[in-house]
Amino acid sequence: MTDEARAAVGDYKVGWHDPENATIRFDFGLSEQVVRDISALKNEPEWMTEIRVKAFHHFEKRPMPTWGNMHLLEEIDFDKVCYYLRSSDATEKNWEDVPEDIRNTFDRLGIPEAEQKWLSGVTAQYESEAVYHSIREDLEEQGVIFLDMDSGLREYEGIVKEYFGSVVPYSDNKFSALNTAVWSGGSFIYVPSGVHVEMPVQAYFRINAKNMGQFERTLIIADEGSSIHYVEGCTAPTYSTDSLHSAVVELIALPGAHIRYSTVQNWSNNVYNLVTKRGIAHDNATIEWVDGNIGSKLTMKYPAVILKGEGAHAEVISVAYSGEGQHQDAGAKIHHLASNTTSKILSKSISKDGGRGSYRGMVTVSPKAENCKVNVVCDALLLDEESRSDTYPTMEVGNSGARCEHEASVSKVSDDQLFYLMSRGHTEEEALALIVNGFFEPFTRELPMEYAVELNQLMALEMEGSIG
Amino acid sequence: MNVAYSENSDTDRAAHIWRYTPWKKAHPTGKISQIPTAEPPVISLSMSDGSEVPAGIRVEEATKDDLARLGHDLDFGDGTAAPTFIAEIAPQIHVLRVDAKTTAKSPVILSVKTTGSTCACRLLIDICERVEIELITVLEGDAEWFGFLREGAFGQASIVNDVVVHVTGNRLLRCDSICSNRDAQIRAGTVNAASSQAKVDVRHWLPEPGASLQVNGSILASRKDHLDSHVEILHSGKQTFSRLEWHTAASGESVTTGTGMLRIDAGAKGGDAGQLFHNLLLSDKAKANSIPELEVMESEVVGCGHGTANGPLDEYQMFYLNARGFDEEQARAALIAAFLNAPLSNMGSESLHGWLINRIESHLSGL
Repeated sequence: MTDEARAAVGDYKVGWHDPENATIRFDFGLSEQVVRDISALKNEPEWMTEIRVKAFHHFEKRPMPTWGNMHLLEEIDFDKVCYYLRSSDATEKNWEDVPEDIRNTFDRLGIPEAEQKWLSGVTAQYESEAVYHSIREDLEEQGVIFLDMDSGLREYEGIVKEYFGSVVPYSDNKFSALNTAVWSGGSFIYVPSGVHVEMPVQAYFRINAKNMGQFERTLIIADEGSSIHYVEGCTAPTYSTDSLHSAVVELIALPGAHIRYSTVQNWSNNVYNLVTKRGIAHDNATIEWVDGNIGSKLTMKYPAVILKGEGAHAEVISVAYSGEGQHQDAGAKIHHLASNTTSKILSKSISKDGGRGSYRGMVTVSPKAENCKVNVVCDALLLDEESRSDTYPTMEVGNSGARCEHEASVSKVSDDQLFYLMSRGHTEEEALALIVNGFFEPFTRELPMEYAVELNQLMALEMEGSIG
Repeated sequence: MNVAYSENSDTDRAAHIWRYTPWKKAHPTGKISQIPTAEPPVISLSMSDGSEVPAGIRVEEATKDDLARLGHDLDFGDGTAAPTFIAEIAPQIHVLRVDAKTTAKSPVILSVKTTGSTCACRLLIDICERVEIELITVLEGDAEWFGFLREGAFGQASIVNDVVVHVTGNRLLRCDSICSNRDAQIRAGTVNAASSQAKVDVRHWLPEPGASLQVNGSILASRKDHLDSHVEILHSGKQTFSRLEWHTAASGESVTTGTGMLRIDAGAKGGDAGQLFHNLLLSDKAKANSIPELEVMESEVVGCGHGTANGPLDEYQMFYLNARGFDEEQARAALIAAFLNAPLSNMGSESLHGWLINRIESHLSGL
């Protein structure tokens, strides 16, 4: 099993890097001029430039968080980050038109093959810009808009202006301010009323250059009674210096709509992954975050849902793997603002080789939200003596009719389970990998099959050398 | 020697410990740089059944040696401002001394009666090895603000049921820093019956092997009460055990907060820890907050978990009682009493339980 996994995924199989062939590369460091230059380069409307500049000033004023892994956060040197790098002159609709070196990268990641087999549309982002973009014709005919964010702003300025920053304002936190100031790329999706996008759409984010900052911005609007499943994947080369990924994702599920947003984040262990993801669910709408965090040096990510409309529902299913030198500080936030809203959070983490996994969550029920139901479950596995697991859940309940439950447990792999599997012919390492895959199963079963297989292979590889 | 208040008075609002009750609100004047003059409380010992207090149990003024031996450094991390402040303003330091192998057949009542407007007390706990007692500490009196700090240790192999009852009617700031030594079996209870504003920060340390700790809380909040409790249990010894069960019933416009931290240090093999917060919301304007936290740095644990549950009175239980002749009010009162009684009945013997019920019964009607 492990040999097969090795053959399939190699040793962080996505850790290679290509030579940098930048057509435009900004100097390191951030200033108002850099922000204005990014906006000018993209020929943006003035209102967007103004939002960027305001966000930049807010970013400068706002202190770093005084919670979480402050030690690692303090190591970020914002003056040693490249805030904009373009490697291709245009976003292409045919893979053949994408520059060869970039196309090879995505070939190696299996994106074109996946597109043909099981996707409704694909965006591939390389450094700061989308280099490839396509959507199935039948969906386009039904009015589904799936563009990279820059094109979305150009072609649908009215919609973008209405919703941009309405869910995650730049003043929300230091990193949302940074993203708003220097955002580039990401996805813009609009699903018309009543349209169900049956197959997932996918965005793939790749950082190639050293000390790169990737700040994509994603906005998904699902109109009344529509549904969509968006899948994103992330990888980067392994360098000795750090890169920064700070995205903002805004979801708007209008009455009766259903948005599922799945992520398998497999950044290399030199990437800071500091992401703000939030959705607003209107009446009877559903938002689901399915979130897998395997890579990165430090992840701070708490997908959130504001249940604004009566009968709305939110689900967050997340798994995190923390290996040597990694801290996965992930969780979920759900705000119940309306009556008869329900939410469910399932978080699972595994820590190994001194890694640290933290669940940090918040659930609030407002006084006017009658008859709400909340269920939060966190499970953690510690695989060795150097590792660490933390749980920091917060519940604020302001309505006497709400039923809120939270439970968490931390344990090690059971000797009985190991013994059972080994008595049936598995080696100890194989048995451990099977147990770990079983532990993550509630997450993997929610993923498209290809992603689930990839995740299981990755976990098998990560479990190598766990015994003895 | 404890750390100084002046170096810790500027607290971080982002810290969970100050999230719902900022230090400014818990401070007697609201001006955190002020060190007001405080009166000492009147402290007395008695037995719950009226008998003589056993010879091995006494309260005395603490000596320098007592402070050196029993005093803690009061480093509560983000929460250090509170215990160091009480230590600074308390006019006297007392010590509750229980000699080795002392036993008491009925619960010992330690009455701490506040005096003046601002009152503060620093009490060292010196419970020696193999003691078997039940101790009820009653915080009572009419001071506008009362600061109560307890530090010390439960001795090796001691068996102690230690309950603190808040019946002061006004504002209370209470900090505990207590070690349970090797093989000690401790049940630590907190009952809040009357404080209108309480900020409680209880820290239990389990540094030696075999210690067992059960922490129970039964909290009544009504009117506009603001009750904020933080319980921290730190396992650093091997084969240590702890359970926390905290029940809060909130009515009126009260706001209650229960935050907890279970920490299993690296090396605390065989640790077994669990915490549960239950909140019963009895009115539309009551609010309950909970943050049960876990930090586990040792993989060889028996288990470590936590849970929290918030909800209204169970409709099916109400229906059951209604069907058996209880009217709405009676059924409600019975269910609230049962909810609060669950941790109370775990705090100690039947006589301790009976004493507690008698003492807080009148306050239940306020819910």
